[in-house]
Amino acid sequence: MADTSIPLKINGLYKSFNDTPVLKGLSLDARKGDVITLIGASGSGKSTFLRCMNLLEMPDQGDIVVHGDPIKFKFDKHGRQPSDWKQVERIRSKLSMVFQNFNLWPHMTLLENVIEAPIHVLGQPKDKARANGLSLLERVGLAERASYYPTQLSGGQQQRGAIARALAMDPEVMLFDEPTSALDPELVGDVLEVMRELADEGRTMVVVTHEMDFARDVSNHVMFLHQGVIEEQGAPEQVLSHPKSERLKQFLSPRY
Amino acid sequence: MEQLSTLWQPLLDWMNGNDIFTPNTFAMYWTGLTNTVQLVFISLLIGLVLAVPLAIARGSRNQVLRKSIWFYTYLFRGTPLLIQLYLAYYGFAFIPGIQETWLWFFLDDPLYPALLAFTLNTAAYTTEIFHGSIQATPRGEIEAARAYGMSKAKMMRRIVLPSALRRALPAYGNEVIFMLHASAIAFVVSITDLTGAAYYIYARFYAPFAAFLFVAALYMVLSFSIQALFKYLEKRLLAHLKPAR
Repeated sequence: MADTSIPLKINGLYKSFNDTPVLKGLSLDARKGDVITLIGASGSGKSTFLRCMNLLEMPDQGDIVVHGDPIKFKFDKHGRQPSDWKQVERIRSKLSMVFQNFNLWPHMTLLENVIEAPIHVLGQPKDKARANGLSLLERVGLAERASYYPTQLSGGQQQRGAIARALAMDPEVMLFDEPTSALDPELVGDVLEVMRELADEGRTMVVVTHEMDFARDVSNHVMFLHQGVIEEQGAPEQVLSHPKSERLKQFLSPRY
Repeated sequence: MEQLSTLWQPLLDWMNGNDIFTPNTFAMYWTGLTNTVQLVFISLLIGLVLAVPLAIARGSRNQVLRKSIWFYTYLFRGTPLLIQLYLAYYGFAFIPGIQETWLWFFLDDPLYPALLAFTLNTAAYTTEIFHGSIQATPRGEIEAARAYGMSKAKMMRRIVLPSALRRALPAYGNEVIFMLHASAIAFVVSITDLTGAAYYIYARFYAPFAAFLFVAALYMVLSFSIQALFKYLEKRLLAHLKPAR
C-alpha cells in the first residue's frame, strides 16, 4: 500500500519525443512542506519532468502517486494512456500549475480567472469562491486589480495573479514551470517574494527555475538534471556550494 | 389628429402627384423589406445555431465526422449561392413522388427552399470561421484548463468557446453583411424581397434609378445598423483584447 502521507511521489519516469529519450528514469518524493527545485541547462528535461507530473505530457513509463493514489494507465493504439480520465482530472485539480507564460484566460477578469476552477471544477459555491478569491488577490497584492483583464496587467502582476489562481484550488502540491523566466528583471523580485512566503507557510512546491538564489535560500532539496538524468541532488548547500559532478560545476560556474 | 393630417398632407400630395413613390409602391417596398429581413434573420439564426456544434465537430478526432463536415463546408463554399438556390427551388420537384408527400407543402412555396439554401450556405461559412477561431486558441489557455482539472467538454464550454467566439466576432460580422447582400438573389425564385420589389417597380414604370437607388439606400441602412450592432458587441465582448487602460 502506498504511503498516503506523501503528497507527490514519482517513480522511474521515462519519456521520449519521436524516439529521442528526454527523461531516463526520474524519481522524486515531495513530502509535505518540501520545496524542491529542479535546475539544469535548457533541454535537460526539467520542464518536461514537471509537465509529466500532471500529465500535460504523457510519460512512457513510470508511476505517479498523489497522496497514495497512483494514476492508472492502460495501453491502447495511441500508446500508454490513463485508463480513468476522471481520476486524472481529480488529481490535476490537486496539483496547481504556474506557467512560464502565466496562461491566464484572456477573456476573464483577474478575479474570474481565480474563481473559475474552484467553481467549475471543485464545485465551490460562487460567493465562497469570490470571497476566497478576493482575499487571495489581496495576499499577492492585486486586490485593486481584481476587475482588470490579463492584457491590462504587467507580466509580474499576471504571474502573481496566476499564483493566486493556483492557490485558490488549495492544492496539495504547487508546480512552478520557470515562473520568472518571462519577466522583466525588475518584476522578478515580487514574484519570488510571493513564492518565498508560500514556502515559509509550508506549501509543498516543485519549482523549475534558473534562479539559483531562490534554489539556495528557499528550497530544501535541489535536483540537477542533465540529459534526462538526475545528475546530482541533495540539500541546496551541498549541491550548489560543493558540487561533485563536472557537469554541475560547469553549470554553476559564472557565465558571461 | 387635425394637426397630424396637416403634417402628412404635403407628403400625401406629393405621393399622389407622381407614379413611382405612391402608397402602393411603398406597400411593395415594405413587403420586400420584411421578406428580406425575415429571410436573412432566420437563415442567419439557424445557421449560427448549426455552426457552433459543426465547428466543434469539424475539429474532432473522429475522422469520419471531421471529414464529412469538411466536405459539407467545401461543397457549399465552393459553389455559387445562386446555384444552390436554384437547386433547392427547382431541384426537389424532380425527386419522384415528392409532390405527394407533406414535404411538398414547404417546397412548393419559394420561401422555404430559399431559407434552406441560405441557411446551409451561411452555416458552412460560419462553421469555417468558428473552426478557424477554435483552432487558433492559444495553447497556453488550453494547457491551463487541462492543468486545473477540466474535462474536455468543460474546457470547450468554459474556456475555448467563449474565447474563440469572441475572437470570431469581426469575421462573423462580415458574414452577416455578406448574407444580407447575397439575399438580393432571392427574387429570382419569385420571392418579393427588397430587390424583387425594386425590380417590379422598375419593370412596371421603367424607372430603374428611382427603384434601385431607393432599395440600395435601404440596404445601406440595414448594413450600417448591422455594423453598429457588431461594433457595440465588439466593444463589449472584446474589451479584454484592448491594451492597458
